[in-house]
Amino acid sequence: MPKCLVCYKWTLDEQDIKIKPEDLSLDSSRAKGKISDFDRNAIEEAALLVEKNGGAVDALSYGTPTVKQSLKDCLSRGPEKAYWIADASAESADANVTANVLAAAIRKLGQYDLVLFGEGSSDQFNQQTAARVAALLGLPCLSFVQKMSVEGDVVKATRKLEDCVENVTVKTPVVVSVLSEINKPRIPSLKQVLGAAKKPNEEVKIADLGLKPEDLQPKAVRKSVKGFVMQRKNIIYKETSAAENVAKLKSSLAAEGLC
Amino acid sequence: MNFELTEEQQLIGQSARDFAKEYLEPIAVELDHSGTFPKAAVKALAKHDFLGLLLPSEVGGAEAGFVSYVEVIENLSRYSAAVASIVNNHTIAAYTIQNWGTAEQKKQYLPGMAKGEVLGGFAIYEHGPTPGVGPDALVAIKHDEGYVLNGKKAFVRNAGEAGVYVVFATTDPALGAKALTAFIVKADTIGIKIGEKLETMGLKGCPVADITFENVVLPETALLGAVNEGAAISAKALAVVSVAEAAQTVGIGQAAVEHAAAYAKQRVQFGKPVATLQAIQTLLAEVATDCHLARLGLQNAAALIEEGKPFEVEAAMVKSFLVRLGSKMLLDTCQVEGGFGYSEFMPLPRMFRDIAGTNLLDAPGDFPEKLIAASIA
Repeated sequence: MPKCLVCYKWTLDEQDIKIKPEDLSLDSSRAKGKISDFDRNAIEEAALLVEKNGGAVDALSYGTPTVKQSLKDCLSRGPEKAYWIADASAESADANVTANVLAAAIRKLGQYDLVLFGEGSSDQFNQQTAARVAALLGLPCLSFVQKMSVEGDVVKATRKLEDCVENVTVKTPVVVSVLSEINKPRIPSLKQVLGAAKKPNEEVKIADLGLKPEDLQPKAVRKSVKGFVMQRKNIIYKETSAAENVAKLKSSLAAEGLC
Repeated sequence: MNFELTEEQQLIGQSARDFAKEYLEPIAVELDHSGTFPKAAVKALAKHDFLGLLLPSEVGGAEAGFVSYVEVIENLSRYSAAVASIVNNHTIAAYTIQNWGTAEQKKQYLPGMAKGEVLGGFAIYEHGPTPGVGPDALVAIKHDEGYVLNGKKAFVRNAGEAGVYVVFATTDPALGAKALTAFIVKADTIGIKIGEKLETMGLKGCPVADITFENVVLPETALLGAVNEGAAISAKALAVVSVAEAAQTVGIGQAAVEHAAAYAKQRVQFGKPVATLQAIQTLLAEVATDCHLARLGLQNAAALIEEGKPFEVEAAMVKSFLVRLGSKMLLDTCQVEGGFGYSEFMPLPRMFRDIAGTNLLDAPGDFPEKLIAASIA
């Protein structure tokens, strides 16, 4: 019966983020939070594994103080207990910092058979956290997992690679990152939503994790984030014959190196 | 003063939106064309506890409160107001039994209704000017062991699909509505005939039909509340459901304005998206404002209901506001989308028909103003 820990990120809902037309900067002042999309798949997979095999699921998240808003949503999706690390360092954390914090927290929380992640976060999609956490904990890492099962202490997984699928087995403990196609996250029922308030959650203080100041310094520093807006040239060729219009279009595309 | 929904209320609203996107969006057009009762969607609603939302946990309900309920109805209505109507009519029947039923009646009916195994219907209207009056009035005559019902109820929603109806009949034709009395009637009771399904303008998929009662014998235990208490029960129940119907209207309006805004951003005229034109911005802004203000009003009324405080005047104000502006929301959003918006392959015509239903049904246009005026003059 596997003991699972699923790690998730509390991100801004990209649907609520507006691009300011004057400088393409992002306005997230009215954006609500959500559990990162791939991480919902990870939570669902952990819940399904435990529903099938028995065991237990806990959840862990590291974020800014807003991470606390995620707990009921997370707990309504299956986990029995949620651990949360709220620290301002998460605002500028890169995958290195996030992995340092999560790995230290997992060491503190104790032994888990499976540590699950979504393949990447909805906001930055670095796809690095699971692999980095596995490296820090000295555990094997299965990434791009589209199907998995657990039999005793063996995890069987199908990994979707660029040009093939790979079937692998690995003994627990193991870190797994899942693709969105692995399952369809459940829509929590009303009783699951209301029941989430009765489940326990516990803050893990970052100061208690034994991290050095440099562990919380991002190596990749984000200087700016700007929206991408496609600018149309709105050129209309108005020659008398279609052939001339086509010729002009072709030379225009060639001038831009597009044909 | 706090205008924020609680975390649970927000999550319940989000669950309803996710549910509606997954289960209702794919069937909304087909439902509008065929008018077929959406059995699979109703089963899924039950699985997610939406049919027992207001009921207490002792009978298997989620006990989520009325503010959560209007959040759910608004979010369901964004994708299918017809399905939201099915939920509303089921819920108001369950609400009535919960509030006026005996312990035995609650035990007998509510667990099945909370699980969605038994759908509820609410039979109040008649073809006469008011229930209990006219040649087709449903009359309940007292006998030694109970009542015998004869007559007809009109425009009963969930008719033919409900397993149990809350039915209002007069116990004295001479007194008419003053002798209105509520009964719980099982759909398979001998003498009940469901009429032909009424073709409606909108909210298709939520069945509407007349129900004829021919010598329907009911035991004393079918009585809901006291004899001649029916007018008070129905007035309270209809006031409650009018708040939920306001949530339907706001859900439709919100979906319409979001659709129109998305359209306006991608529709290019005069070399730029029409969303940049002041005339279009004005239309979108007015509809968004109407939705926002109506939502605040109905959430206020819902909170009063949840707290057990008087809410009827606030509910009437919301109804009055939306009767005036609900259809205008759809006219304006259609205007934004021009000829495309008027076309049946776009969702706005369906929403237009649906919003007419949520505005017209359950509270006549002149009713709310009368109540509001009486509260101030």
